[in-house]
Amino acid sequence: MRRVGIIGAGLIGSWHAARWQNLPVEFVGFYDHTPENAERAAQEFGVSTFNSLDALLTNVDLVDVCTPTSAHKEGVLAAAAAGKAVVCEKPIARHLKDAEEMIAACETAGVPLFIAHVVRFFPQYAKAKALQDTGELGRPGVLRTVRAGSFPRPDPDTWYNSFEEGGGVVMDLSIHDLDFARWLFGDVERVFARGLTFADESMRDHSLITLRFKNGAIGHIEGSWASPPGQFRTALEIAGEGTLLEWDSSDPSPFTVQVDAAKTGDEKIPGADNPLAEADDPYYLELKHVLESLDADEPFLISPHDGLMALKLSLAAIESIKTGQPVAVEGFTEEVTA
Amino acid sequence: MSPRVGIISVAHMHALSYANALNTLGVGVAGVYDTDAARGAEMAERFGTRFFDELDTLLAEGLDAVIVCSENAKHRVHVEAAAGRVPHILCEKPIATTVEDAQAMIDVCKAAGSKLQIAFPVRFAPPVQRLKDLLKSGTLGRLISAKCTNHGRMPGGWFIDKEKAGGGAVIDHTVHVMDVLRWALGTEVTEVYAEVGHGLLHDTEIDDAGMLSFSLENGMYGTLDTSWSRPENYAIWGDVTLEILGERGLVRVDAFKQTLTLTSAPAHKTEWVGWGSDADLGLVQDFLEMIQTGREPSITGEDGLKALEVALAAYRSADIQKPVSLRTQEAA
Repeated sequence: MRRVGIIGAGLIGSWHAARWQNLPVEFVGFYDHTPENAERAAQEFGVSTFNSLDALLTNVDLVDVCTPTSAHKEGVLAAAAAGKAVVCEKPIARHLKDAEEMIAACETAGVPLFIAHVVRFFPQYAKAKALQDTGELGRPGVLRTVRAGSFPRPDPDTWYNSFEEGGGVVMDLSIHDLDFARWLFGDVERVFARGLTFADESMRDHSLITLRFKNGAIGHIEGSWASPPGQFRTALEIAGEGTLLEWDSSDPSPFTVQVDAAKTGDEKIPGADNPLAEADDPYYLELKHVLESLDADEPFLISPHDGLMALKLSLAAIESIKTGQPVAVEGFTEEVTA
Repeated sequence: MSPRVGIISVAHMHALSYANALNTLGVGVAGVYDTDAARGAEMAERFGTRFFDELDTLLAEGLDAVIVCSENAKHRVHVEAAAGRVPHILCEKPIATTVEDAQAMIDVCKAAGSKLQIAFPVRFAPPVQRLKDLLKSGTLGRLISAKCTNHGRMPGGWFIDKEKAGGGAVIDHTVHVMDVLRWALGTEVTEVYAEVGHGLLHDTEIDDAGMLSFSLENGMYGTLDTSWSRPENYAIWGDVTLEILGERGLVRVDAFKQTLTLTSAPAHKTEWVGWGSDADLGLVQDFLEMIQTGREPSITGEDGLKALEVALAAYRSADIQKPVSLRTQEAA
């Protein structure tokens, strides 16, 4: 049985851990730069902690990199050097050069690299893609997506609040929809965007991205860490020639509860939910896909190049926010100020 | 080794969904019997299995289980034929068209040592399972009412033949919701009043609309709309909704409302395309788990009978224009 270890014992790390424990692997434990984080997670899941990256690498066959974005490179390069298969949380890296280096290292080492763009495994998005592929949606025309919530952490002392480390809402959140857009409509010709990324606002970011695809279709991607606290909203609209496909998480849900908090004394009752069977959980499906592809020696649904292109699109959008000009994706290079 | 599961009749369209589930779960279909040879053979071919024009020959195959999807009135004869020869039987809902038939099916299975499960897939819709968890937690306090619907399109075919189906919309839809309520609330229906409409919505003599008002042993009251009130070009086949009011809150479940809205000008329609977890798959998985672990059925023949009794009481109430009381489990 494959032994799996997680680098980075944060929120995504524990989400993945819970799924690994339901899959046919031996989930051995965590490594984290901050040992207390690894300790806490290891206790929660009843697994080990490793006091160095090397210690983890010698004890696993597959590495799951769930660190903050800027540390993905370190984990993936180490895994490649150790010859271990890698799952890397999205975005692939903070900078294009890092991503290229990671992909090259994995290729040279012959190590499979999976970039965890989990939205492709959300059943409503997967269904939309399937409808597109089976020709039930007309010729691609206009794509609109929304991914909007409040700032993901309660205090400013987080890498989410650092453009240098996380790339803001475009790189962290909209990248989900940028990858989905490319999966659905193909490569993007140019990107134009406006947003708060350089507005010097703490714990708030927002952007509206406009896309032109190579096939002529156009698109609109909203990403927000500026919504009032409360429900996180996602929405999808695909207009084709003579067809329209719509989904919005704020539509009436299949399960809605309203309680009189004064009487129940319980604030934690979910307002609305979209419950799925365990086997249909997107994070479970994503990691199961990794195992099945490895077993069958088949390419992943998401190639390293897809991960790179999603990053490139988010960087192009950020460049456009900065310059106020459209940015052509082909030939786009990122200027990194050291 | 995976169990060998045969299908007795594909009169009910759920047979297709269950066969798909058997395929998905890697079990496959071990054979199909049907009185309609064309229909049965087509199904057998689709699932790469043998068609049997004699039930006896299928039952002689040494199967581990059968799924009975014949017309409602034939469930009894098919379950009786399988009892003792096949150890596990999954019977489509409603269990039968009369209490007498249902009781006979339960009795013959018990005597012959075959396990009988009734197909109530709505229990396996994740939003409905979430409802059960919430109700169990007591969060809503004392429960007051249950406002329910199970709408559908007019199915046509034998579904509108009283001899074969036992009734129309009321028997077709009452049993689903009554089963969910009994299961999620752990209570029984004590009284039913019903207004039933015949040919109200469609050109048919059978009941195509029904409004049940019921009371439950736990003190709740409720209503259920069973109507085939969704036109053919409606966005989806229908719904199962349950709105439970408690003294501390309200929960609303729309069990199959996990959909994308697809509008197509060429097709001249708007459709809700489902993306939620497959309840039929959950049902079949549960049935196979029973076979593999040797446990008792999660949905028993008695559950099927209890749900049927409510539907039959609704018809009787509509006839006499008075509430009809149902005997309770404890009184028996």
